[in-house]
Amino acid sequence: MYAFGPSMILTLHPSGNVALAERISEISRGDVVILQSPQDPNKLLIKRVIGVEGDCVSFVVDKDESRRTIVVPRGHVWVEGDYTQNSRDSRTFGPLPYGLIQGRVLWRVWPFQDFGPIGPTTT
Amino acid sequence: MRWLRYLNQWRGTAKEAFEQVSIVAKFLCLIHLTDRYIISSTHVQGPSMLPTLNLTGDVILAEHLSHRFGKIGLGDIVLVRSPTDPTRMVTKRVLGLEGHRLSFSADPLAGDGSVSVVVPKGHVWIQGDNLYASTDSRNFGPVPYNLIEGKALLRVWPPRFFGSLR
Repeated sequence: MYAFGPSMILTLHPSGNVALAERISEISRGDVVILQSPQDPNKLLIKRVIGVEGDCVSFVVDKDESRRTIVVPRGHVWVEGDYTQNSRDSRTFGPLPYGLIQGRVLWRVWPFQDFGPIGPTTT
Repeated sequence: MRWLRYLNQWRGTAKEAFEQVSIVAKFLCLIHLTDRYIISSTHVQGPSMLPTLNLTGDVILAEHLSHRFGKIGLGDIVLVRSPTDPTRMVTKRVLGLEGHRLSFSADPLAGDGSVSVVVPKGHVWIQGDNLYASTDSRNFGPVPYNLIEGKALLRVWPPRFFGSLR
């Protein structure tokens, strides 16, 4: 699939990548996933899974710089973009129901100089 | 050399057998695609949609096309993937689309306290017809539209209740 946008800079290019995704494996912490946006049913987003159900996630609310902690409810995951300064993710729309995840991103195919796996480690 | 001639005799049969198998395989693929993406039969049970659906279980036909085109409307009975347990599907009625204001009573047995909520963009409000025995949006909040996986069309079993669902 073709992915573009600023929210995953350092992992994905803002101006476009072609990557492969698979739907078979179980999603765990650190995976980059494709999900259907809970705010706009026609949009697909790519984010990283930071927390799964039961995890205690702590994040900074952009507007007033305060820190909040939340427990991810059952059946949900917490996703965040790698470039948190410009990413609309669970810090905006809350924990995401697991059923909206469409697949896990495995491998980047294009641009060719960055051909290779998209792994769970963040810089 | 004799076994080569023997193999040649079987070539005609093998070709025919292969063609038959490929017809069966294509048919199974067609069945799978229809069941997954167009229309399928589902067994639904539970008390949350009484009196519309029976407690002990009904088989209903559900179609999987409307939700892809945004044609789910108020009052439709839909099959939704549960937000609290992604391996389960629940059957509820859509009572609010995005932007609607709804007011409901948080606990129908405990009195008149009523809560008002606006359904956010990209979400729907689902409720079971049996308010006293249903975990639905009154418990887990509005669900994202994309969790809807099908719309119920008609009930096929038990035969005396055969007919469209309202």
